[in-house]
Amino acid sequence: MSIATTIVKNTPIFGRMFAVDKSTGLEEINAWPALMIMSSFVWLVVAGLLGLVMPATQIFDLSSDHFYTTLTLHGAALTFPFSFQLMMGVGLHRSGGCVGKAITGWLPALTWLTMNLGAAILTVAVLMGLKVSVIVMFPLPLVGAQMGVWSMESVIVGFTGIYLVLACMILCYPLLVLKMMFFGKKRQELILSERSLNEPGMLGMLLAAATLLLTGLPLVVVGTTLVLALYKVIPMSLAAWAADPVVFQYTFFLFAHNLMEAMALMVASAMYATLPLYLADGSRKLYSEKLANLALWVLLVTSVTSGLHHFITFYPNQPAALSYWGNIMSWGTGMGAAISIFTILATIWQHGLKPEPGIIAVLVGWALYILDGASAIVTSNIAWTYQLHGTMWQSGHFMTVVLSMSLMWMGVLYHHYPVITGRKLDAALGSLYIKLMTVGSFGAAIVMLAGGAAGMPRRFADWHPEGWMLYGNLILAFGLIIGASFAVYFYNMMKSREISAPMGELARA
Amino acid sequence: MLDYVYTGWGAFWVTMFMFVPFALMAYWVIRRKSLVDTGPSQLQPGEFAPIEGVWLTFAFIFFVVANLASLKYIPWAAASGGTGGEPEVQVDFTAKSWAYDISNRQIEVGKPVRFSGRATDTQHGFAVYHPDGRVLFTMLMMPGTTKPTSAVYTFKEPGKYTVRCLEYCGVAHHRMQDELTVVKAN
Repeated sequence: MSIATTIVKNTPIFGRMFAVDKSTGLEEINAWPALMIMSSFVWLVVAGLLGLVMPATQIFDLSSDHFYTTLTLHGAALTFPFSFQLMMGVGLHRSGGCVGKAITGWLPALTWLTMNLGAAILTVAVLMGLKVSVIVMFPLPLVGAQMGVWSMESVIVGFTGIYLVLACMILCYPLLVLKMMFFGKKRQELILSERSLNEPGMLGMLLAAATLLLTGLPLVVVGTTLVLALYKVIPMSLAAWAADPVVFQYTFFLFAHNLMEAMALMVASAMYATLPLYLADGSRKLYSEKLANLALWVLLVTSVTSGLHHFITFYPNQPAALSYWGNIMSWGTGMGAAISIFTILATIWQHGLKPEPGIIAVLVGWALYILDGASAIVTSNIAWTYQLHGTMWQSGHFMTVVLSMSLMWMGVLYHHYPVITGRKLDAALGSLYIKLMTVGSFGAAIVMLAGGAAGMPRRFADWHPEGWMLYGNLILAFGLIIGASFAVYFYNMMKSREISAPMGELARA
Repeated sequence: MLDYVYTGWGAFWVTMFMFVPFALMAYWVIRRKSLVDTGPSQLQPGEFAPIEGVWLTFAFIFFVVANLASLKYIPWAAASGGTGGEPEVQVDFTAKSWAYDISNRQIEVGKPVRFSGRATDTQHGFAVYHPDGRVLFTMLMMPGTTKPTSAVYTFKEPGKYTVRCLEYCGVAHHRMQDELTVVKAN
């Protein structure tokens, strides 16, 4: 039995949802993905509970310290150990079944360990007092320690955690994907639906892994230098270049921006692979694979340098030419989205759709992603960013992109869940999850954008001026609906144990 | 009209202009082809091509127009062509956790003001809010840069304008505020 299977089996509550069904003969592509998916949902529950603390500090006038602590933990938990890890788990299982390669050995173990250990260590650092938000805000960690707001020990612990999480996302996971695609022996008994790199479902996985690896390497160099200096392996004078705020911020956003784009590429490819399975006429064909691939390439090429829009209001320190470039490339990603919209809708129109909960959840997530994309390109325009940068608009964009991708992956998981666990899910509960999630996620996204339009600042522990509390209360209300939808999703997985017997070989069908 | 479009609320409505028609179309297509008429379309693949061309052309033209029309609202572009020969009033400021040191807090209506600032410890923002609560413009300052961050703005109405930091800068970030007083010109 795999170590991963044992850990899942011995985990209370969540272990019941993701216990791997060995009768399918697919444990080698299911065990580590199941553990990653289960771990991601544990982090989701943690993040959800923390998310409630932020409005609670406003409503009950609690200390702003609580607000900034939970702001940092909520954002970090949702983005990395929940969303990214969910994507890793479902994506690895899916590609394992497409290329017929086992997900076993030390690399998947290291990938899981670096993500979860890193996130746990970062959590400890935040509880020690380090309140730097999900994007670190360098050089704030060092400045806070110098000012005595938090200890240098918490900075060292925090950077250790962040470094491990980055090692997972930039090195372990991309190398695992590349290893599966280009090395190792293909085994027919592990193939669920064979696919080649010419198909958008696999191309997106490859482009995303390459993007993470290449755009993340500068940050690995900077991060390694800083961590070595913090642990006094090298003198701080040798790390001064890496501690320069401009160097750190540009390398950080070169990666962080492309991390989101890479996750989008991965989820778009998963949708291109999943949608054909639910076409009513059984044709299993996209309207045009060439157009689908073109959308992925346009997204990739335009997004790599579009992250320059993060520094537009930094002018004249960032030359105007780079700001225009970031503006143009950001809107270029919109052309990728326009192509994607046409491909998806034309496919459905051409072949009809079997409206099962898994694919509908994917499509709802995709629609949310389009809303997010529209808000993202608008705020990447130079004129608009001077009105919106630093407001709740940006938080709305960030929350929506993470949530939309997670929803799409949860829909894809709905499709793969029987293969992993050998159990079927309840369609009525699936439908209820989708309804709640649609209301909650679109409501929260639109209110956060409206809050930004009204000037409500992000990461700001006072929602009372200018009537911003109205937006805060609405965000809380929609957040609770999102929480209810997740509860239904989990209940469905718990209940699946009761409504069906182990599926064995049937799971492959 | 354009003066409204390139504000925060204008951004919101432009986003909705892009999203709502898409959402309605997607809902209609998915509902129709999954519940009403689930059979394959009578349209041949070649017949989709004109729709594809029209859709992508519309998207491209809309994107180009939205960005070209925004050029005159970019602060540095407005400053280079829109001061009407009026000399710029210089206001320098320094941002440090968690306060601003501003060289001049009283400004006259109608005079172009160049705000130039630096952050001395960590990243800070400098966002100027209209008395009605809207953001007029915001700037990002990072320590260690060779030049100050800079933007030019011409106030149109007298009143008390709040300055807020919009870059998270630590546990008292929300208290990092100041005020500018805009008075009628002599």
